[in-house]
Formats: sequence, C-alpha cells, structure tokens
Amino acid sequence: MKILSMSGFVPEEICDTVRFSGYTGERNITHFCGYANDFISQVMLDDSIDGAIFPRSCDSTRIIPSYLKGSSKFQYQLKVPARSDDYAIEYFAMQLKQLRVAIEEYYHEELGDISNRIEMVNCRNEIIGSYYEKLDRISYKDYIDAIHEELSVALHESKHDELNRIEVTNPTYKHRVYLIGSFLANTDIIRKIEGCGLKIVGDNLPESGRIQNSIVESFDEDVYAAISRKVLSRRLSPTQNNFSKIISFDVNEMCKLHAEGVIFVSQKYCEPYDYLYSVYKKKLDELHIPVLHLSLSNSEDLSKAKLMIEAFADTL
Amino acid sequence: MAQTIGKIQTRLMREYYKYFSKYAKGKTPESKVAWVTSFVPVEILEAMDILYYYPESYAAVIAASEREQELLAESERQFLTTDCCSYSCCIEGCVSLEDGPRGKLPKPDILIATNNQCNTLPAWWNILAERYNVPLVILDYPGEDMEKEIAYRYVKSQHDDLISELEKLTESKFEPEKLANVISNSERSVKAWQNVILNLRTKDIKPTMLFDDINYLITARCKEQTAELYDMMASELSQKEEITDGKIPVFWIGYPLWYHQDRFFSEIMYDYRIVGSNYITWWNLDYSGNNSSEKLFNAYNYTFLNLSQKTRNARLSKLIKESGAKCAISLRNKSCKCDFVSAKDISIPKSEIEIDMIDRSFLDIEKATGVLELLKTTIH
Ligand code: SF4
Ligand code: SF4
Repeated sequence: MKILSMSGFVPEEICDTVRFSGYTGERNITHFCGYANDFISQVMLDDSIDGAIFPRSCDSTRIIPSYLKGSSKFQYQLKVPARSDDYAIEYFAMQLKQLRVAIEEYYHEELGDISNRIEMVNCRNEIIGSYYEKLDRISYKDYIDAIHEELSVALHESKHDELNRIEVTNPTYKHRVYLIGSFLANTDIIRKIEGCGLKIVGDNLPESGRIQNSIVESFDEDVYAAISRKVLSRRLSPTQNNFSKIISFDVNEMCKLHAEGVIFVSQKYCEPYDYLYSVYKKKLDELHIPVLHLSLSNSEDLSKAKLMIEAFADTL
Repeated sequence: MAQTIGKIQTRLMREYYKYFSKYAKGKTPESKVAWVTSFVPVEILEAMDILYYYPESYAAVIAASEREQELLAESERQFLTTDCCSYSCCIEGCVSLEDGPRGKLPKPDILIATNNQCNTLPAWWNILAERYNVPLVILDYPGEDMEKEIAYRYVKSQHDDLISELEKLTESKFEPEKLANVISNSERSVKAWQNVILNLRTKDIKPTMLFDDINYLITARCKEQTAELYDMMASELSQKEEITDGKIPVFWIGYPLWYHQDRFFSEIMYDYRIVGSNYITWWNLDYSGNNSSEKLFNAYNYTFLNLSQKTRNARLSKLIKESGAKCAISLRNKSCKCDFVSAKDISIPKSEIEIDMIDRSFLDIEKATGVLELLKTTIH
C-alpha cells in the first residue's frame, strides 16, 4: 500500500500515507493551482503510487476526482468541513471511519491499531514543535527539508532521523521574518530568502507551524472524534473559513517573535490564499509590518522571486 | 399579456433594488439585511422577513452596464488579484468605491455563504466579513458522496443553527408554517420555470431572454409572484412559431457572458442556434421530502455543482439529448474552476472557448470565430 496524501487534513493516524510534496508532470490545466496539478500528475503517472487521498477544501481539490477518473488506483476525497464546530467534528469523524473501511476493502488488508499511530504522530509533531521553538537558531531550509523527508516515509518506518539531524548552528542574519503560505513544495525559495540574510522565525505552513505540537490529547471518547477534533481545531487553514482567527493568531505570534516583516508565499490560482492575502495585507499595513507577496507557479517565477526578496530585504 | 409579464417583472425588480443607494434616497431597510450566495436556503430568510441580496447577481449587472473594468482594477488596488472569480473582484471594487450602476448594496447585518457550488464563495464571504464586521455563517453541504443519513443530520443541524442565529438577529420567533408556505412557492417557481425553458428547443426565442429571466428564479424563487410570472411566460412562449431556420442546433455549456448585450457572442454565431444550456437549469432545485427540513436538504445538498462528476455527466447528457443539439460550445471560464469540468465527457462534438463571464477582455473573438468554424466541419 503506497497512498499519496495531499494536505494536512488527511490524518496519518488511519494508515500509512506518503505526503505529496511535489512532482513534475506534463499535465497543465489552465487557471488551476500548480500544486494540485502536480498531485494529479503523480497519481496518474507514478507507478509506485497505488492510491490517493485528497481533500475537498478549495476549488482545485474539489475537482480532482474529475481528472483522476481514468485511474484504477484507490481514491478517496475527504470532504473537509467548511466550519470547525461540534457538528463539523462529528461529521468529519464519520468520514474518517468511512475512509478506514474504504481502504480495508480496497486493499483487502486490516489496518492496525489507531492508538499506536496516534502516539507516533503525537511524538513526531512534538519533535517538530521542539525545533519550531528554536527556528532562529537553526537553518529553516534544513528544518523544512527534514519535515518533508519525514512526511515522505511511512510513519512506522520513521526514526525521525532527518529531524534529529538538524543542528543548532546559530546562523547569522540581518532581519527576522515570518512566513505564511500553503505547503511549500518548492523549498528553493527558502534558500533564496535565507541567502538574502532573512531569518524565518515562525510560520503558519501546514507542514510546520500548523502541525507543530498538534497532538491528540486523549482518546477516551471515540477515537475518530478525537482525531477529527485535533485536525479541525488546530491552527486553522484558510479553507476553514475563519480569516479573522487566523490573522489574529499569526499577528500575535509574529509580534512575540519580533518579526520585522512577512513573506506571504502562495500558489498562482490558489483562491483560499489569494482571498486571505487581500485581508492580511490590509491588517499588516495597519500595523506597519511590511509584507512581500510571492505568487509562484513555476521555476521561472523563482528568479523573479529572488529579485523581489532582495528588494524586500533592503526595505527592512 | 406582455404588459402583465412586464408589470410583474418591474414589480419584482423594483422590490429587489429599492434599498440600493441609487433608489433608496437615503432610506434604510426596516428589516435586517443578509448578503447571500446563489444557493443559500433563502426560504428560511424569507420566512423570517429578512431582506437578502446576491452580490453575484449584482456583479452580472455591473458587467452588463459596462462598469466591470474600473471595478476589477479597484479590486487589484484592494490586493485582491483578478485571478480570483471575477464576481468577487467586481464586487470588491464596488464595495470599496461604494459605487455601481445601481449604487451601493444595502449594508449587511449578516453574511451567509454556502459551498454547494464552489469553495470560492465561502472565501469571498470571509473578506466581506472583515470589511463589514458582521456575523458570517458558512453552510457546508457534503454533496452526494456522503451517506445520505449522515449528510442530512449534518445539514439539518446547520439549518437549525442558522434559524437560531436569525432569531437572535431579528429578535423574533421563527414560524415553521411560514417556512412551509415559502418552500411551496419555490417549488412552484421551479416547475413553472421548467415549462419556460422547454420552449428553447423548438420555438423562435433568443436565449438572451432566458439567461436574463432566470434571475427571478435566483433572487426571488420563493416569492409568490415568480411562479405566476413564469406561468405567463411559458404560456406566451408556447404560442410562438416553431423554429425552421436551418441553423446548427448547439448546446451552451457554461455561464452567459454578462457583459455582452446578447449574453453570448451572437456576432460570430450566425450559423448556430442555442437550443439548450446547463446554466438555465442550475436553479431547478428538487424540493422533495416529507417536511421542510428534508425539502431544504434535498434542494441545497444536491445542487448541480455539488454533484459527483458521474451524476453531472448523466444530467448533462440527458439535457443535451433532450435539446436535440448536434454540437456543444463549452466555455472555459477563467473565473470558475468548478464549471470547467462540466463538459468533460459529452458525446457530441464540442469546442472549447476561453472566456470570463464578467471580464470582457478575456475573449479573443478571432480565435473563437476560428473555433466555431472548425466545429462546423465536425458536424455531419
Ligand atoms: S495550494 Fe491552494 S489551490 Fe492548491 S491545493 Fe492547496 S489550497 Fe488548494
Ligand atoms: S463563478 Fe464559479 S467560482 Fe465564481 S462564484 Fe460562481 S461557482 Fe463560484
């Protein structure tokens, strides 16, 4: 079983998945997010992948099933609730139960003990949390690469080697910045940010700030409800429709971390982050916090991004 | 008869626009105001005497009044990229400049959005919530892949919560009988509209009229007069001449071009006649069920854009078959990813044309002409 998962809404507690982090395929759907585009390509073209779990949380993911129609691989779309109240938690828990049944039926395999997997995810997220707390003393590139590496191996196989290899090097830097965005498939952008003397001291990325220290506290209640509560109640994604909560949390954190500026990285044609940006930018302007918006779709954008980051660094 | 149809239309529109700043002359609504998306269960609002307005519809009016370019530019100045749905960008420009062909929309007391057509709308409503600092309610509709019982329970809880929230807002008690009456108005409107659009296939009518007149089903589906209006229209249309122009019958898949005076590129479609469109069927909601909760659940959980690709394909194929179309024009709409896939698996020859339903600068008319010429050659 090698299931490619897209998004932090796909809980690792149910079964082993490989987190999608990037792929180069020839598929190019116009006006469509490149990240979702590449996910579709990998599911269709990569023979080592035999299944896909993805959310319905934005317009790009919403229509993924239409593009995967020709594939006989396992497919499951999680309808991520557009809200995070108790009804949503109950409803999402039902879906997680159904997901488990669907996987077992397709693969003719009984999935193991969930509580064991909960412990493993908790442990991993706490380790990420411990590094998140010292972001100003480690290389952010090393940190994010280690997380991506970690997410690409099966949970039970992971010894957290990559994470444990991160060294506290106390790198020198000129300015402290805060990073906002969706899953950072292209980590070259980090190299460019760090190359300009900018230190990322905090973020709200789904693979970092949003999962660090995110744990299932107790599962005396229904275990699926506990996982659902964890996934829906942690730091929010813009697809959960509470922009004001996201912004107030982030702004608090960036003030606490003495961030001097914000870098907002989004995928071109990613509407949740595009709408969030329009509100975010106004809020940061009010607070006199400079922000750089990088909307990326391909590698050409990276050289343009480099110039923009340099110019931004000069303004700080 | 035409006079009476016209009168009802004027009355409905006058009623809808009376608190827009151009006509209100400083008067503010006596009732609470909600801004809603196209597939909000407005029956609940109507039953609670709340006024509701559709920013999406107003964006269409803005484009039809040739005002979209300046408002789209303002949207960019408000940091909302025009990569996003143009309905939202147009309205962002409008609310920022407090300007539009009919002035400003009445200020909302509550914002309600659903995800049964796309995920853009809830995100868009978030930016409105920030601007107006009023409660935001997002209604989440699972669609058909989810077990019906689970989906029903989830949707019903949200509808019940919405009712409680509105009771608080209006400081009045919700009356279930009123809701039942309003739902039956909507059911009648849908039935009457179905009779109207039946005529498109055989009668000498311009699709422009249907693209425009569906507006009553969108903004006034639960008003008593809407069914009356559509009944009259259906009866008038049925008396029209049968069409015998020999043009190629074509199915229009996608949105009308709101900025175009005919709502489609009539200037290059002289060899074609539009005999069907999926857009004009989107609000044919199915209010089946034994009580109001079930009816609202069925109507709003199973909207066309909330269905699986398989069901959509089946519905679209049926519509195309019934229309007698020999080919289809499928619009690749910059604004709408969700509608992109509607025409994925149809069996008649089709051509894709890139457009935006609001932003006229997206259409390359020369390219579109070439595409239509080519389409002709594929029809036997
Ligand atoms: S990057 Fe944005 S558009 Fe793409 S899948 Fe993620 S949330 Fe959706
Ligand atoms: S045009 Fe498409 S993206 Fe825009 S509001 Fe309508 S359904 Fe949503």
